[in-house]
Amino acid sequence: MNETTPDIEAKIAALEAALGTVNTMNSEIFYWWCTALMLAIHAGFLAYEMGASRSKNALASGIKNLLAFAFIVPTFYYVGWWIYLAFPAGLTIAEGSSAGLPWSANMGPNLTDQASGIFYAAFTLFAATTASIMSGSVIERIRMSGFTILAVCLGSVVWILGASWGWHPSGWLTTTWGLHDVGAAGCVHTVAGFFTLGVLINLGPRMGRYNADGSLNEIPGHNMPMSLIGLMLIVMGFFGFLGGCIIYTADGWLTIYNTPVTLSAFAFNTLMGVAGGMIGAYLMTRDPFWMMSGALVGVISSAPALDVYYPGLAFLISFLGGIIAPKVNDYLVMKLKIDDAVGAVAVHGVTGVYGLIMAGIFASGYANIEGPQINLMGQIMSAAVFVVLGFVPGFGLSYLLKMFGLLRVGQGVELAGLDRVEIPAKAYPEAAVPAFELSPVSPAE
Amino acid sequence: MNTAPIDGWEGAEVYYTFADKPAVIGLLIVVGVAVCAFTIYRMAWHETHAAKRHG
Repeated sequence: MNETTPDIEAKIAALEAALGTVNTMNSEIFYWWCTALMLAIHAGFLAYEMGASRSKNALASGIKNLLAFAFIVPTFYYVGWWIYLAFPAGLTIAEGSSAGLPWSANMGPNLTDQASGIFYAAFTLFAATTASIMSGSVIERIRMSGFTILAVCLGSVVWILGASWGWHPSGWLTTTWGLHDVGAAGCVHTVAGFFTLGVLINLGPRMGRYNADGSLNEIPGHNMPMSLIGLMLIVMGFFGFLGGCIIYTADGWLTIYNTPVTLSAFAFNTLMGVAGGMIGAYLMTRDPFWMMSGALVGVISSAPALDVYYPGLAFLISFLGGIIAPKVNDYLVMKLKIDDAVGAVAVHGVTGVYGLIMAGIFASGYANIEGPQINLMGQIMSAAVFVVLGFVPGFGLSYLLKMFGLLRVGQGVELAGLDRVEIPAKAYPEAAVPAFELSPVSPAE
Repeated sequence: MNTAPIDGWEGAEVYYTFADKPAVIGLLIVVGVAVCAFTIYRMAWHETHAAKRHG
């Protein structure tokens, strides 16, 4: 073969173009499947909440969870993605953020943009996760309409503002204080957990939860196995969630802060975190519900520095998280009389703060691309920002809904069960009817 | 109704329906937001009336 220099140059150019196309498509494929996997989180929350409800409220809890997802998809499209692009500097609008407005050329089929749609999809699933975090805590007494308004506010506005501030390469929490939170413990879990706390204060406990003397009555859900399977599905979905926290580039994987990372790093520490949290919570409670909640605690505890932790360290940090979270929940439920039906404030809100602080202690000194290196004070101050960012709108909006009678169902509805009053279907239609009454055919026939 | 903003695929970039008609896009967004708001309103109405029926 006698190829000339121009021939070889043309072939190289063609190969480079093909490689660029493959890289772009690989990126799309990666986030497509991360998004699909994240749906397991919602299947999990659905099962977990329905199982944690009494049978008289099982379907209402499920519908509430599904509505949150359904409403967040369009509202995040209308406003959420733009908020992420617009506010990394704080409250001033960033140049170029108009690409996230719903009438932009980027927000629909466009042959020159293979990134916006797939990132919108992944972030939408993060958004729906925040609403699902709140959803379980408020079961059995919240009005669906009030809940949907709160879910849209949390999922399409509040958490994504936190993400823009602290889970963005140019977010001010990172560029100013050096925040490092690769697994979104702060903007997703802390914000959602403390938003939930604000709502729970206004919502109040379920009827019968506390006696006149302040003592506590257990209100067990109707299907613990369903809840356990749901929690395991959430853990599975976290592999999509955490995969979606990594940026795919032609030159390799990057964290959201543009620091280099590998999927292997996340694999080591996610698994060790899950195991540590499960073991810690088991040791503390012996309760299977808390053991599986401990798996979530484990992931969240290690999430901020999944990229740099030694796996043995992630295991111990998460183990300690699994020990702490049930005790925090006991304090909230027994001492502060916050009726958190699934422990979401402790599992997500408080554990998110714990994880951020642990990263400040054990990942201190690692360099950021923009801003100071990771440091304890930066992590603590950023955690405080996430707490306030979650709590204030959660409390304020639920207070307004309460004033207008849109927050809580009436006592009669709560006593009868939301399914019976509001839902045109039965979760277990044969449960109260002996089987022979439904099937009068004798075995001999 | 011709909804296509492009005449052919050669050199095509933005190609979603009505991309060349911003007024229609604006209307679709407004209607979408209204659908969400109306559904929440009806949800609240249903809750209130179901509770009244229940007594």
